[in-house]
Order: sequence, then C-alpha cells, then structure tokens
Amino acid sequence: MKLDGRIALVTGASRGIGRGIAEALAAEGAAVAVNYRSGADAANEVVAAIEAGGGRAIAIQGDVSEFADAERVVKETIDGLGGLHILVNNAGIAKDKLVYHMEPEDWLDVMKVNFGGVFNCTKASIGHFMGERTGSIINISSVMGQRGWLGESNYAASKGAVNAFTRCAAMELARFGVRVNAVLPGFVPTELVEGLTAKDGGKGILKQLPMRKFGDLQDVSGIVTFLATEDAKYMTGALFTVDGGASAMLGTGAPL
Amino acid sequence: MADKDYFAAVQEAVANALGVDDDEATGDATLMDDLGAESIDLLDILFRIERSVGVKIQASDLGDEIQGGIPDEEFGAGGNVSRKGLEHLTTVMPQIDPDEYEDKLPAEEVIMHFTVQNLADMVARRAAEKEPA
Repeated sequence: MKLDGRIALVTGASRGIGRGIAEALAAEGAAVAVNYRSGADAANEVVAAIEAGGGRAIAIQGDVSEFADAERVVKETIDGLGGLHILVNNAGIAKDKLVYHMEPEDWLDVMKVNFGGVFNCTKASIGHFMGERTGSIINISSVMGQRGWLGESNYAASKGAVNAFTRCAAMELARFGVRVNAVLPGFVPTELVEGLTAKDGGKGILKQLPMRKFGDLQDVSGIVTFLATEDAKYMTGALFTVDGGASAMLGTGAPL
Repeated sequence: MADKDYFAAVQEAVANALGVDDDEATGDATLMDDLGAESIDLLDILFRIERSVGVKIQASDLGDEIQGGIPDEEFGAGGNVSRKGLEHLTTVMPQIDPDEYEDKLPAEEVIMHFTVQNLADMVARRAAEKEPA
C-alpha cells in the first residue's frame, strides 16, 4: 500500500470523481478527509465505504469557494486525522450556456468554485506543506481547459485558470518539497456532466472519441493516486490528460 | 542553545536556501545584496530555521524588527531614516552607525543591509523570548 501513513483531503468528495479519488487513496492506505458542501448523507456513505474496507476517513463540511471555509476544512483535516500530505482540489461546478445566453454572474460563480476552490485550499494549506517540506497537491482540471466545446466557455475559463495556476504554484513550491500537478479528465460520466453524456445514450460524443468509450472513475483516480505517491517525486507543474485520445485529435480525425 | 549555535543553524539555512557555500554566507554578508536573496529565498530560509531550531519568524517580522514599533512618519518611511529610527536600528543591526548614516539611508533600503549575523541575533532573541522566565 503506497500511501500508508499518509493523510489526504479531497474536496467535493461526496460523489462523482471526488468520491472515486477518496476511495482509491484510502485503498492505498491513506486516511482521507471527505469534504462536501451540502451532501452530508452522501459524504457519510463515502466514509462508511472507506471504513468498511479497513480504512480511516472523516467527512468535513465546507464550501471551498469561501476562503474561511477552506481554512476551516484544512484545519479540521489536520486536527482530525493528524496531519496533511495530499490535497486533491476536486470540487467543481458547471453552468453550461452559450455566452449569448449567460448572465454576467455565470462566469464568476463557476470561477469561484472551480478556480477559487483551488486557490483557497492551496493557500489554506500552504504554510503547513512548506513547514513539513513535503506534500502533493493535485488539481482536478479538465480537457475543457485546453479545447473548446459548445456552452462551456465559463467552465473552460475556470479550468484554464486552474492549469495556469498549477504551473506557477508548482514553480514556487518546488524548493519546499511540495509538488503541484493537474489531472485533466475527458468525458467521464458523473452527475456534473450528465446533461452532456446521457443525451442520446452518449452516441453524439462517443463517435468523436478515438477509444469510442467514456472514461471511468478509476481512470482518473489511478493517475491521481500515482501523483500522490513517491513514484511521482520528480513530477511537478505538469498537466496529465486522461481523455481516451480526445484532445489528440483534430476535429473528428477524418472526413465526415 | 548558545548564540553560536543559532548562528550555525542560520548560516546553514542561508547556505542551503541560496545554494552558496558556508564561506560565502558569512556573518556580515547581507542577505539581499551580497547573497542576492529574493522574497522566495527569504521564505525558504525562514522555514528552514523554523524546522531546525523551532523558532518561527514570518517574513513580515523582519520589517517589524527593523522599524521597532516606531510609527512610519517618525521612523522616516518614504524618505531617509530619522535619527530616532537609526538609534533603534543600531540595536538590531549594530553595523549601522547612526552618525555615519544620518540623513543618508532611505527607509526602503534598510532591508538590503540585513546580514546573516543580524538574522542569527534575531533568531536568538526570539528563542530567548520563548523560554519561560
């Protein structure tokens, strides 16, 4: 078990990719703080599942788009589990609309959670990580930060911000023994992207994916777990795409 | 811990953080001028000191130590350090002679004169404050 004795905080871990990551880290021996904003029951389910597997976990409520909450969540993790070595900034929302139909606040709302959460939790834990001279921060971004898709402009902007921040934070923290990387999933069916992937059984998207399949939770949690371990000790400031080849392609890759 | 031990710990922190040899990080070497330390280097030095001797100093504490609680205007902020400011300065940075620097030391440049020894002395003072009387 590669994360024996390590302690992780996963934001937005009551469901979706966050839940997958929390469970995967726990399976490698990490104690996990399962942060949620409003899904207390779901978060407690995740904790129960981890404990049933012999692991250690606690659920911590907090809206990471609010700095005071982020600080409290980090503090409760350190107090409750005895430390912090791994921060997975996963909490995210989407408000998909064409720019033409967006309200002025539709970009800021998404930015405040998707990038704000990354900033707030990084800032809230940075003093701890720098003092310990060890740490792995993994930001859950998206291929949407690198390529365009209808209705995603605000989400894309927030993930682009995460990518850029990841590089700078990595640079600044490298000499303190803290690594910062981002994982960029492609299409992984969860509640966040239900609207996109469920439509028409997903055919409209699958036909454009080189692997002709969506990703699953393990595809994302696998790379996140790797980045949390010492196997990735020389990796920082890097963006890891997990998209079945989607962003490697120009258009649909062949004449229609 | 004896003062010379604080010096050794500070010298090691400075040398490691800046990637210089011990014989470059001498007591009278200025952190930012002679040794070229920037803001991120200072953070590195201070975190290393905290880890090695358990004395926590924030980057902002250096400014406070230099100004010694003297209000901005009285200290000479925005211009040259006042006589009163210099008389305080010499207690934390003994290499600064008030007579020599009267009307000649812009307040914002004071930090450039901060030496490895000045930092070691500050660490020793902080450590002593922590000890119960």
